[in-house]
Amino acid sequence: MSSTATTRPNGLALFILPSALLFTLFFFLPIGLMALMSVLTGNPVVMPKVAFTTRHYARMIGDPFYLEVIWTTIRIGLVTTLVALVIGYPLAHWMARIRSRTGHALLLMAVLAPMLTGIVVRTFAWMTLLSDKGVVNQTLISLGLISQPLKLMYTETGIVVGLVHIYVPFMVLTLTGVIGRIDERLEQAAENLGASPLRAFIEVTLPLSLPGILAGSLLVFALAISAYVTPILLGGFQIMTLPILIYQQISANFNVGFAAALGIVLLMISLLLVIAYNRALGLVSGQRELQ
Amino acid sequence: MQTTASSSLPVAQQAASMPVPGPTRPYGRYLYLAVNIAILIFLLAPIAIVVVFALNPTPFIQFPPVGVSLRWFEKFFASRDFMHALWFSLEVAVLTTVSATMLGASAALALARGNLPGTRLIVATMLSPLMLPAILTGLALFQTYVLLDVGRPTWGLVAGHTLVTLPYVVRTTLAVLHNFDTRLEEAAQNLGASPLRTFFEVTLPLIKPGVLAGAIFAFIVSFDQFPVSLFLVSPGNETLPVTLFNYLKFDLDGTIGAASVVSIVLAFVVVIGLDRTVGLRSYVKL
Repeated sequence: MSSTATTRPNGLALFILPSALLFTLFFFLPIGLMALMSVLTGNPVVMPKVAFTTRHYARMIGDPFYLEVIWTTIRIGLVTTLVALVIGYPLAHWMARIRSRTGHALLLMAVLAPMLTGIVVRTFAWMTLLSDKGVVNQTLISLGLISQPLKLMYTETGIVVGLVHIYVPFMVLTLTGVIGRIDERLEQAAENLGASPLRAFIEVTLPLSLPGILAGSLLVFALAISAYVTPILLGGFQIMTLPILIYQQISANFNVGFAAALGIVLLMISLLLVIAYNRALGLVSGQRELQ
Repeated sequence: MQTTASSSLPVAQQAASMPVPGPTRPYGRYLYLAVNIAILIFLLAPIAIVVVFALNPTPFIQFPPVGVSLRWFEKFFASRDFMHALWFSLEVAVLTTVSATMLGASAALALARGNLPGTRLIVATMLSPLMLPAILTGLALFQTYVLLDVGRPTWGLVAGHTLVTLPYVVRTTLAVLHNFDTRLEEAAQNLGASPLRTFFEVTLPLIKPGVLAGAIFAFIVSFDQFPVSLFLVSPGNETLPVTLFNYLKFDLDGTIGAASVVSIVLAFVVVIGLDRTVGLRSYVKL
């Protein structure tokens, strides 16, 4: 921006080194090792003879069970993302458009409060709500609306409800930023020209917030497919997702190679999402520059 | 978060001073509010439920609650396992906050002021632990520690936590660095301050709120961190979320509720405490 800025790195650039070291030793090296383990027949430290193999990947593709697990993970991720978007959008819109400062602060606190509560705690909360003798069922039974408890827990629906609750704040915060940048006068202009508030929203605000919708959705999807606690506790060990399978391979089977191969598959899906997310955010900032 | 709130303020004031078109369809407005209030209830009710169960004396889930008792809090504070886990979590969170804040803030400074080539790619890489599954970070570190035969040391856990909390510090510090006027630094140097003095007397005080916000995030994320810890804790030396998780697999009594309330309160105390002590003072200085 300033013409005096040189293009050569200066002394301050050295401050990047500690983080670079951390990432090299504790991020790139471990992920590289994981990729390596996924194509080896065993642990090279304890086993004298290891060879390269594709059997871990072949096992995944050859067995419909593993493909089903991958599909379940993606399906839960997709439904969670969709519901989080539908729930998150109105709240984000309110937060972006509310005029009172106190109101904005209170809404922000309401969105951040669940984020300050750990994942395990929030999953526990949903277990108390959704179990057979939980709050929802007991309330419905005492109201005489149902005679048998509804099966809410140990189902995919239960998992989705828990995941939506955990990840909807991420959607709200992403969307609020984007909606807040849309000039409110555009909506007012549309309304002054005779459009109903709903039509002004659908034809002006919604299209302009598309990059935010994309970014928020990719973020929530990436977080939802890598969730472990919520699917395992609300699914009651009956519904298998990729992270659950990965941990099981380590803790129960100690099949490090297969766990690594599963990890690489999850990593590839996530990397694609990260790239798409950065593109979406690029769209957002591009839009900002145009204004 | 703080920067968003403060930067949106002028816009909000501007909007408030503009003529507001009256709600042409009040029913639509009511529906909008009703939907939003329902969403807020969905967000906050589970947290309220946790508090209710922490105080409810029955040893199983019962709704509506039958009374108020502190027996689960007594059980929680008397439990050696839970207390050990609580202190271990705090220790890991403090170590993580210190290392993530120092590494993250200096990295952000290098990225914003160091004229590094490929800044965008470096930023994307440093933020990537936020979106890449944390369970993979845990798995990859676990495999590495097994291969190197180092066991499961506390520093290994702190390194994993630092990796997933660093992005918050980098992001909040970068946001402040991008927003502030570099002419302030130039002015200080024109007035004869050395680059070092400029850094300590101009740059550092100005980026302090961003660094602080990042540190708060780092503490909370580390304190609540589960997927990385799952692979890296050793039996008998577990963090609170892992202990809670193991307990939840078999038991669903009020102890979990009490433990949850304690960790929620702790998170809030840290946020408010840091904001009041360090935050306010830095604003007074400004």
